[in-house]
Amino acid sequence: MMQVDVTVLLASWLIAATLQMSTPLILAALGGMFSERSGVVNIGLEGMMLIGAFSAVAATYFTGNPWMGVLASVAAGGLLALAHGIICVKFKGNHIVSGTGVILFAAGFTTLMLEVVWGRKGYSEQVTRLPDISFDTGNQFLNAAFGQHSPITYIAFIMVIISWYVLYRTPFGLRVRAAGEDPSTLDASGASVEWTRTIAVVISGMLAGLGGAYLSIGFGSAFGKGMTNGRGFIALAALIFGNWTPLGVLLAGLFFGFLNGLQFAIQLVPGLEWLQNFTNFVQMVPYLLVIVALAGIRKSVPPKGIAIPYVKEEKVRCPTIE
Amino acid sequence: MTENVEVTNIDIEKDDDTITRILRKLNDRKLRKQAMWTFGSIVLSLFVSALIMVISGYDPGAAFYYLAVGAITQPDRILFYATPLILTGLSVALAFKCGLFNIGAEGQLYMGAIGATIIGYMFSLPILIHPILALLVGSLIGVIWGLIPGLLKAYRGAHEVVTTMMLSYTAILFTQWLVTYPLKEQGEYAWISQTPRIFDTAILPNLYGPYVHWGLFIAIAAVVAVDFLINRTVLGYELRAVGQNEAAAEYGGINPKRNMALALGISGGLAGLAGGEEILGTYYRFTDQWSPGLGWDGITVAVLGNNNPWGVLAGAIFFGALRAGGNTMHQVAHVPIEMVGLIQGLIVLFVAAPKIIDWLADNGQSFAIRMKSEPFPAIPEFLLAAISLIGGFLGFGYMFVQMAFDPILGIALLLAGITSFLSFAFVYPRNENGTLMALLASGIWIAAGIFGTVVAGIQVGILGLALGIPMVLFAIVLLRVHRPPFLMRRGDA
Repeated sequence: MMQVDVTVLLASWLIAATLQMSTPLILAALGGMFSERSGVVNIGLEGMMLIGAFSAVAATYFTGNPWMGVLASVAAGGLLALAHGIICVKFKGNHIVSGTGVILFAAGFTTLMLEVVWGRKGYSEQVTRLPDISFDTGNQFLNAAFGQHSPITYIAFIMVIISWYVLYRTPFGLRVRAAGEDPSTLDASGASVEWTRTIAVVISGMLAGLGGAYLSIGFGSAFGKGMTNGRGFIALAALIFGNWTPLGVLLAGLFFGFLNGLQFAIQLVPGLEWLQNFTNFVQMVPYLLVIVALAGIRKSVPPKGIAIPYVKEEKVRCPTIE
Repeated sequence: MTENVEVTNIDIEKDDDTITRILRKLNDRKLRKQAMWTFGSIVLSLFVSALIMVISGYDPGAAFYYLAVGAITQPDRILFYATPLILTGLSVALAFKCGLFNIGAEGQLYMGAIGATIIGYMFSLPILIHPILALLVGSLIGVIWGLIPGLLKAYRGAHEVVTTMMLSYTAILFTQWLVTYPLKEQGEYAWISQTPRIFDTAILPNLYGPYVHWGLFIAIAAVVAVDFLINRTVLGYELRAVGQNEAAAEYGGINPKRNMALALGISGGLAGLAGGEEILGTYYRFTDQWSPGLGWDGITVAVLGNNNPWGVLAGAIFFGALRAGGNTMHQVAHVPIEMVGLIQGLIVLFVAAPKIIDWLADNGQSFAIRMKSEPFPAIPEFLLAAISLIGGFLGFGYMFVQMAFDPILGIALLLAGITSFLSFAFVYPRNENGTLMALLASGIWIAAGIFGTVVAGIQVGILGLALGIPMVLFAIVLLRVHRPPFLMRRGDA
């Protein structure tokens, strides 16, 4: 009987851990989806998450209200993404170089500001966490699995639905997809490719920033140097593995979150101690799966117009006036 | 007559020695433009980082002064920091020449480093042979780690940006596992995940002073070798051809698949060499997470050096100087060392879009011309753009200061900053809606100023009015000169 209880407890714990670990991945990957579906490569997700995580803690620290922190993270992620968008769309820069710049800038800026605001290296002061939404279902298993989660986790799942709706059922979503697949058609239809792409990139930064806020004030309660720890890249992996669709992103994000929870679960299960030494290999799975997916075992097709700056056709000018 | 002309032509060809070639190159328009972009990006990023320093309460003058002093007085440290960056920069640049983006140099570096470490501490070999073998094995593992994404790109079409990045993280996790379990040093320091120290026979001896070791020699030799490879060999020609236009190269009888795989393989080898050289020359053992992002910095260096081997050398020395000077800046001016990382990120952002520099330069030039020919609308327009730009930065800066005391004022200042930047972005290239944007920004500034006087004190009020009122005045003057289409009455056209 006792044994059953442990198994049930572990299963429910694993479900809870999966939901927790996948929240930032789903949010950032959804963000990446908007950007990449509109034709702008966004490898800077990591940087946008990092700056979101930092702003969330800073704003919470100053205002005392974690919801202000959430707002700040969305704004900061959006602003950094706006810089990326302007460079990629307006100035037709190289998307990947710009994304690298975003990552480097965010890493430098957040560690610098960590020292400016709190006067210390490594970790910020503890701030108020975003209060969890908890309820009692009357069942031990369900309580442990779903009873207590951060509001951002709920937001992440709602965002998946909203993203699906926006992308496939609204004019804006159609424009985003057109900007990524065939920008000249979008241009001919009278909509602005540049604006569509810029807005999509800003949305991506906002979602990634929210994912960062989950790490710092949803799951934890402080900002640590480089705390995203490659999650932006796993989000990118989830995006590719999920084939650039909201549902795919959700499933891939949940799966990668599950793997993340699994390596902690391994340490809890009696009899599996020998596996502890191999958690690094569990961590590798998302990265390796993406390589496998891209190598064509599973079909992954990026948007056609991705990473190609759109240049409007030159206006024909009358030589006598010029 | 014709013969004479031919003779003089031959004479010119003969006189075409190295110096004239260099001079001719310097006069090249393309190169000049490239130089303008690079220096413009550096200047712009230093400018923005100075603003960030002002906002966060540091003195940018002192910071840059000690940055320069630290760099000039410690040339050995510059070279020390530059050594691995040269190699990782070459790695990224070489792949770039073939049109490929090797973003996973960090992982190849880790794999090369672990290979060199294993040879360094597990095998007992004579001096000279030992480091050479260790470096060879290190680069070979790097080649393999680069060849995997290369082959996947060539034969399966897997995008190299994603695969190299993912393999990079795989490599970091794999080496972490290696040094935490099988290769871990037992004994006194068993709590640190690291390998035993390499044998003294494997160490790359110091060339000069306590910092510079033979790795520098290897790195400079690699610059020469890569330059030769790219510009003087068939393989280099083919790589460049594939990088320029894959379809055309294939039509010309070049096998693009083979070249792509080779380019990423060699690129991985260079990154692996960087890892091996760092272990043998600087760290002497493989500690978990030892690299301070050398592979990432390689991207920066390659981008800054425009993927030219000698440009990479210059870029690496520039970043070495930033690091060396950064230490002095940290110790004397007490500016956190992270400032260097920030500057680096900004440089990459600006280098990513050389059109920013062009945009600034072109519009500035047209303003200069117009100020001479028609000073009346041009000068107020220019001043309006300048005030908008200043207002944008001040808005963001004061936002950080005020956010702590009053979030509403902070948000108002943020809005003022954003609209001021937008106003600059519209007024500077003389967009027809620029004056309207300027009016909006000035309105927000005045409102923020009045609100700030009430909640935060008179300084905010003075700031808001000092920015808002001139903006309104200039904008109204300009509205009278050329009406935006938005305000045009029917029949005005």
